Amino acid sequence: MMKRFLALLFCLASPLAAQDFSEGSEAKTWNLYAEVPARFEAQVVDILCTITGDCPDNCGDGRRQLGLLRSADGVLVYPNKNSQPAFTGAAVELRPFCGQDVEVDGLMIEDPDLAAKNIYLVQKIRTMGSEDWVKANRWTKDWAKKHPEAKGKGPWFRRDPRVSAYIAESGYTGLGEEADAALIKELFE
Amino acid sequence: MRPGPTSLLAALALTLATPSLAAEGERVQIRGEIIDTWCYYSGVMGGPDAVVGTAHHTCAMWCSAGGIPVGLLGDDGQVYMVLKIEGDDASASGDTQLSLASHEITADGMLYKRDGLNYLVVEKVVTDHGITNHNHEDYGVVPGFAIPKPKQ
Repeated sequence: MMKRFLALLFCLASPLAAQDFSEGSEAKTWNLYAEVPARFEAQVVDILCTITGDCPDNCGDGRRQLGLLRSADGVLVYPNKNSQPAFTGAAVELRPFCGQDVEVDGLMIEDPDLAAKNIYLVQKIRTMGSEDWVKANRWTKDWAKKHPEAKGKGPWFRRDPRVSAYIAESGYTGLGEEADAALIKELFE
Repeated sequence: MRPGPTSLLAALALTLATPSLAAEGERVQIRGEIIDTWCYYSGVMGGPDAVVGTAHHTCAMWCSAGGIPVGLLGDDGQVYMVLKIEGDDASASGDTQLSLASHEITADGMLYKRDGLNYLVVEKVVTDHGITNHNHEDYGVVPGFAIPKPKQ
């Protein structure tokens, strides 16, 4: 009797981090040191709401970071990144799925040296029951719609009005013109 | 009637197996640098010493504006994922977070821990020490293309 309970206890309490979520994953590698393909089912949640109970409507209407509450083990996975190699996060990609049960595919980052745990790069998403995946790559289109005044050549981050204003004010290093000038001289002359 | 060992084991099993629905908060004061967490955790731009400070300032702004989560890299070496600063809950591309990119701050707020990560709700930036990590002297600029080549 006691042995059976201990076995049950072990099964229930074992960290499911040991679970392999790579089965069936079609995630593309980014050749990152600590990446592991991970495909799993989850609910899309507002992280601040889940952590503290501060819960506005619609997951904060795009202001807040969104998380993935994994169905298999209740672990809160933090999607840091969408699938674009362009300094772009995942909240925009997950926002249409706020509160929904979804399946996601991407790369998990688990690096004990940096205490990286349950950090995720999401590459595609689909509502549970749907056949069709949605690629997690619409951030730059979303940005372009919000910033028609910044239309032009080159990547968004060279044209972003807020970033450009900060660079104009305090330079690429944040220390001002003098520090930048010395660095630019060292880099390019 | 006292609970028997079977009841105690069942209760323990239930407690361990049930994911916590809301984490308990703890009042803390933490000094550290506002960083972009993806570059730090993923190593995509290099080692952890190179993806902070002045060397990485422009990239930190790009990532913050791009909606990548911002963290506070504490003096204790721990990363605290910042969810809110002084009432501003715009943790995805918000103005307050962007304004503090690479700044060393002393933050007072509530710390929550869940599933291996630290979460911080900053109630007050007690001191903004400015950008204090001048590591461009060691690393130049990271990534290398953050500063465009000046036009002749």
